Parts: sequence; C-alpha cells; structure tokens
Amino acid sequence: MVALIAVASMVPGLLAGLQSSGIDYDAVAYRTGVILTEDPGWPGWPVYPPWEMKDQYHKDEIERMGLAVSNETPNILLSTKIEKFFNDTFFTTDDYRSKAIFGEIPYSYNITLRSLDGRYNHKVGQETPEGYGYIRRVVKIKEPSVAVIDGSLKERYTISPGDNSTTRTFTVRLDFSRLLNASIDPAYRIDPLTEPVNITITNFSEYLNKTDETVKNATLKSVTFRRGSSSIRFPFPYDTENPDLYTLSLDGNPYDLKPEAPVESNISLVLKPPATSLFPLDQNSILDIRFTFENDPPHTNITGIHYYDYNPKNVTRPALKPAVLEVAIW
Amino acid sequence: MVNDSGQLYTMEGIAAGLVMLLTAYLILSTTSIYTPGDTHIPDMQLEQLGSDVLAMMDTPDREGEESQLVGFVKNGTGTCGGDELRDEFLDNCKMRSDDPDENLRAQVYLSYRRSDGSVNTTPLSSVDPEFTGRENAVRVTHWVHLPPGSHSIPNIDTSRPHAVLVEVLLWRV
Repeated sequence: MVALIAVASMVPGLLAGLQSSGIDYDAVAYRTGVILTEDPGWPGWPVYPPWEMKDQYHKDEIERMGLAVSNETPNILLSTKIEKFFNDTFFTTDDYRSKAIFGEIPYSYNITLRSLDGRYNHKVGQETPEGYGYIRRVVKIKEPSVAVIDGSLKERYTISPGDNSTTRTFTVRLDFSRLLNASIDPAYRIDPLTEPVNITITNFSEYLNKTDETVKNATLKSVTFRRGSSSIRFPFPYDTENPDLYTLSLDGNPYDLKPEAPVESNISLVLKPPATSLFPLDQNSILDIRFTFENDPPHTNITGIHYYDYNPKNVTRPALKPAVLEVAIW
Repeated sequence: MVNDSGQLYTMEGIAAGLVMLLTAYLILSTTSIYTPGDTHIPDMQLEQLGSDVLAMMDTPDREGEESQLVGFVKNGTGTCGGDELRDEFLDNCKMRSDDPDENLRAQVYLSYRRSDGSVNTTPLSSVDPEFTGRENAVRVTHWVHLPPGSHSIPNIDTSRPHAVLVEVLLWRV
C-alpha cells in the first residue's frame, strides 16, 4: 500500500515536463541577444577570414554569427557584420536557427536593429504574435573610415614646378603595421582586412591645370595596386565591374578599374574586404592604391602620397552610432 | 450476537478510507509546480537594459574623447547635470524599433569619496514627484572614472582622479 502511494505521488512528475517550456523563450531570446551583441562570431579573430566574409560556397563554415567588433568590445557592433547578418537572401531560416539561435526546437524569431538616426533599420524573421520571449540590447555601431581629399589639400598634392612628365599619379598608402596597431582600442581601429577602405577625392577641379582655360576635366586612366615597391595584379580582371569587390565612381557614374574616362569634380573608390583579402598581405605590408591620370598635355597637377592612417586630417573616422537590437522568440 | 468481532472490519475500513484520502491528497498537491523565477524575468530584462545604457553612455563616440556619462557627472548637482543624465538615460532605455517604450522612470544617485575620506551618496537627479519609494525598481550601477579637475560635485578633492559610482533606479509605471 505504501509502495502504491509512493508511485501514485510520482505520477504528476511525468506531466511536469510539459508545463515548464513556456518560460524558456525569454532565456533563448537572452542568449541570442548575448551572441549577437557580445560575440564577434566564429570564425572570428584570430582566424581569418571572419564569418562575414564567407561566400555562398563556404557558408557552412560559419559556426556562429555575432555582430560585435571583437570579444573585448561588447555592445559595439561592426557595420559589415550587420549588413551580412541581415541579408536574408543569403541566409535561410535554418541558417539563423542553427547559427544564431541554437537549440533543438525550431523557434520562430524576429530580430530587429534600429539606429537612433534611422540609418539602420533592419529586420529579419517572422511577424511577432501576441506573446513571445523578448530581450532588448542597447548598442553602438562602428562604421568604416573615409579618406576625404578635397580642395583644401591642394598645396600638399600639387607637382613642383618644372616637372615635365605627362602622367600624373596620386597614391593612397595603407601601411598595415601602422594601422593594425594593437594599442588602439578595437572600437576605433582601422582594419582594411575586415572593413571597406573608402577614398573620396572631391573638388577635383582644384587639382586641374588652371593655366589652360579650356581644360575642364582630366582623364583617369587606371587604378592600380602596389605592395611595397612592386606592382601586384588585382586578382580579378580590371575591366569587369564587381560590386562585391569594389565600387569606383567618377562624378557619380560607375566604372571598372580601367576607366580611361574624364573626371570633372569627384572620384570615389570603395575597396571592400573580399578584395583586400585577395592580395598577399600580412601585418607589415604596405598597400599602395595608385590613381593614374594621363592627358597630353597633362590636365591635372595632382601628385603625392596620402597616408591612410589615424591622423584625423588624413582619415575621418565616424562617431559610433547608438542603436537598439531587439530579439523576439516564440 | 452483538459482539466485538466486527471491530476489526470497521477499523480496516476506516484505515483504508484514510489511506485513500491521503493518496488523493498527495496526488493533488504534487500537480502544482511553482516556478518562483517567473516574476524575475521582467526585472532581468530591465536590469540588462539599464546596464547596457550606462555602459554605452560611458563609451566615447570617438577615440580620445570624454564619454557622455563623465560629462554629466562632472556637471553634478550644481548645473542640473544629474537631470540631463537621467533624461538621456531614459531616452536610451525607451528606444525601440517601433514607438518608444514610454512607461519607464529613473532616479540617479552618485557615491563618491569626499576630501575628508568619508563616502557620500547623494541624489544626482531632482526628485521625481511620482516617486513613492515603493516601486518595483531595479538598480543598475556603473563605475565612472572621473579625471582630476573642477567638478560641480560638493566636497570632492579635485586634484586627483576619482572612481565614482553612478547608481540608477529604474522602474516601470
């Protein structure tokens, strides 16, 4: 009889398992929030390339998607990781479940990121129902730096009088040993291997040869790359535009790396991390990006080397942007 | 014919009845499973939010700059630095992808060491007229590194850097 009582009192314990799954959604949402805001993801530093640079054929190598710049900078998110994560044509629902949410149950999810100024307004997942597990994290977004060369730098980058050559080259130099400086906090570091390199030459009319009144533009012959003192080939054809690797626009119009087209007021080159990773570079390399202008007689007097480094006069690093990340799980 | 041989049957019957009642009671009492952690989950979410906001307010937006939180603390009680701190803190907490989460209130306190060595805790933001003291509030704290120099904080030694504690009570109305 006593044994029967003991067994009878254990029967409700069999039913208990069905009741407790209701509270797990907040825990799963919290865990996903931590993975997204405090983890840089895997593969991540020190393994290169990081997960956000994997293409369609290597997507399975991504183990975990995290948006943090590094594991030393929680709540500071990297814009390249954000753009990749919220690309739901690249990632499927199963990818989000297995690489960000985890767990054996296929949870429904809704993850949104919105910056205070509205520039980032991303959403991925399904529409939220009445009740769901939820977490809200406040973060800051790190955006890539820009080197702006405008008319005010004209004195630095004009040829000395008496120079009779017909080609004009303007170089932007990335010294990796200076850039990948470990004493700079990762939240403010310039890393061309993981973030786009953005070079913008504006007020180009200031650099034109003013002695000839008919000169209204100069012809940009090509954009080439050098490592140290030797020229290196861009590992993709120069005459194919490839927006995943770079964008080059002259006066707002897109071109490939051999434009041979006239430019009047501005040049903008964005070199993306998948392109930079194709060059054979290490932490001590120097990468030169050369803009070659050719006209006979020359239409522009631009020359010189512009250093892409931490000097605020050379490179503008944008301020960190406040944003809010919300994760809903049901 | 009236004898006591039936007593045993009666007692057995009563004992059986009691055993059945006991069994029924045991079964019914074990079906309700109390999970006392349930009420703490909204508190955890609020605490994480407040902690994130304080950490982000103490992160400079550009390298080498002073963080927003240090600026507010330096202004202290004198020039309404505390009220600005409280308002900025709440604005960041209310930020959401759709409409702002308006039902949040906060109160800020500052703890620091006075020049005579004693520790002082002072309210930094002006008193909220709706604050009754009985709100279900969470407490989030953040250590702030204050550089030497003049501040509007009373009785503080301005010749050396300080580590001061900013404490915020955050609650939902």
